[in-house]
Amino acid sequence: MSDQQSTLRHPWELVAHREISTKLRDKTFIGSTVFMLVLVLAAVIIPALISGNGGPDKIAVLNDAGAKIVQQADAINGDFESVRVADRTSAEEAVTGGDVKAALIPADNGYVVLGDDRVDSDIQNSLREAVVNIGMEQNAAGAGLTPEELRANTGLHEELLNPGPLPEIVAEFVNIGLALAFYMTALGFGMMIAQSVVQEKESRVVEILAAAVPIRALLWGKVIGNTVLALAQILVIAGASLIGLMVTDQADILGVIAPVAGWFVVFFVLGFVALAGLWAVAGSLATRQEDLGSTTLPGQMILMIPFFFSVFAGSSAKTVASFIPIASSMAMPGRMLTEDVLLWQPLVAIAVLLVATVLIVRLGASLYERTLLQTGRRLGYREALALKTS
Amino acid sequence: MLSVAGLTRRFGDHLALDDVTFDVVPGRMTGFVGANGAGKTTTMRIILGVLAASSGEVSWRGGPLTQAIRRDFGYMPEERGLYPKMKIRDQLVFFGRLHGLDPIRAGERTDKLLERLSLSERAGDVLETLSLGNQQRVQIAAALVHEPIALVLDEPFSGLDPLAVDTMVDLLREEVTPEVPVLFSSHQLELVERLCDDLVVLSRGKVVAAGPVAELAAGPSSTYRLVVDGDAGWLRDVPGIRVRDVAGAVALFDVEAAGQEQRILQQAMSRGSVLEFGPEKVALSDVFREATR
Repeated sequence: MSDQQSTLRHPWELVAHREISTKLRDKTFIGSTVFMLVLVLAAVIIPALISGNGGPDKIAVLNDAGAKIVQQADAINGDFESVRVADRTSAEEAVTGGDVKAALIPADNGYVVLGDDRVDSDIQNSLREAVVNIGMEQNAAGAGLTPEELRANTGLHEELLNPGPLPEIVAEFVNIGLALAFYMTALGFGMMIAQSVVQEKESRVVEILAAAVPIRALLWGKVIGNTVLALAQILVIAGASLIGLMVTDQADILGVIAPVAGWFVVFFVLGFVALAGLWAVAGSLATRQEDLGSTTLPGQMILMIPFFFSVFAGSSAKTVASFIPIASSMAMPGRMLTEDVLLWQPLVAIAVLLVATVLIVRLGASLYERTLLQTGRRLGYREALALKTS
Repeated sequence: MLSVAGLTRRFGDHLALDDVTFDVVPGRMTGFVGANGAGKTTTMRIILGVLAASSGEVSWRGGPLTQAIRRDFGYMPEERGLYPKMKIRDQLVFFGRLHGLDPIRAGERTDKLLERLSLSERAGDVLETLSLGNQQRVQIAAALVHEPIALVLDEPFSGLDPLAVDTMVDLLREEVTPEVPVLFSSHQLELVERLCDDLVVLSRGKVVAAGPVAELAAGPSSTYRLVVDGDAGWLRDVPGIRVRDVAGAVALFDVEAAGQEQRILQQAMSRGSVLEFGPEKVALSDVFREATR
């Protein structure tokens, strides 16, 4: 009692702690986390396995000269292996039968590459370069020049004035991936917050809770507990995909993502907290689980519209979205990754988001206080705004 | 002392509480009775701060009842509720800590209460797997776990079998120290009569009777009941008393002055055997009916 007050933790900490420990024991929650983990790992590892670890591409050759070219191509770029066949007919059989990717056949004035319905451009380019190199070396020797002399002043290098951080297709995927990570987490945890509130109303335990601690402490405990859980879930999944990337030798992609990671966390936490307040209100407006379908609708819209906007809109619309609260959580980290964004932009977006979060949470808290103990029937948002504190 | 003064609560046009005033004295159990809808639950919810009063106030030891003080109260709401999917020990420790206990003390208190309620071997079970009677025991443990400085129990014994009621009553008597005021509502008047020291009767939002049960149930102290082995009709001719009713050997009469009853007794004994003699007690249910009429 009074002498125990000194050792007392804040009530919201207890509520948050209960929220976390309950979820960690919830089989559905653990199951869905494991499922996401498997999904993300599969997305990281399987493409690498298919492209990388399928073994070297086999190229059929007729003789030593052919084998040498394949060896050279392997050294230049890629992963090639020569397979000796007797003649052109057996080479054709090997190609059409799928035993080899292509065949390298001597012809007048060079070589012919045989393919089935097409020849992979990588294979074609590598072989062409190898053939040219070896041919030029021989020709150089004939003309009394060293290969270096022959190649002098023929180099061509690429230099980009505005290098994009990521290749376009990868950028697109990363953009969608980051928005999706926020969307899924905010929606999933949002529904869990709403459910956990309505469960307390349904089981009437809310009356004891409200008599023991301020209602705002209940709200904060829920919001903070779930934010911590959501962030932890993201980190676990990020950690797993990191290990996946390293195992499959794709670690270089990290160099691009790492600088944006901190920004992502800031946008994530602010956007998540703002929404969490609304989800808790969605729970407190309901009286039974079945009511959640309608009371969570505004929350779902607030998430879904910016999500599709930030993923599918054109780049100028995306730039606008990256400043609008909630939408910015989905759009800005992706933009920073795929475009060159000046530092003031994320800072302004965060400032706007912070103000919006404070306002939304304050509105949420006041609605929550008014509606949590109304167990008679489901309330609408407009009705809740008109209510006085009990 | 827990006092409510002038509590009024309106729900729209409906006046649920009308100037409700009473005290709950430490160390005494105060029964709170009234018909359904009389305003008992509304009053209790206002005391616990989960409902606001339209006017009036609740005070604690002469000062205003703050949220911090309320945190040390024990409350059992009319609509029972705990976390159905939480293990009962975890649950009680949580409530203990929510009310301000440190983890160790909360654990000790929980174990003691579970032991006392013979629920120790169910400590690790999820609440919803318990029978309703056992869930009710956990509910009362949740109200007691933090050694509350005051108890407000809304229909704590409803739905319990007589044996379970006895266990709960014993537990309450053990837990309630002389400085703890207890307010509990019930419509089981027999139980209230057995347990309560004080009584507050509420009717349509108004306090219609309040005071020690002994006084309220004593009835008009001038009425006596006499049972003899013959006919008691002679009482009608005795001066200075007013006979209410004589039926064969049983008579009910009022005395006008104290001491007169002793003369009647002597007279009765001189006439024959006296089987029963004493002040007439009024059943609480009669008090209740009278007060709420």
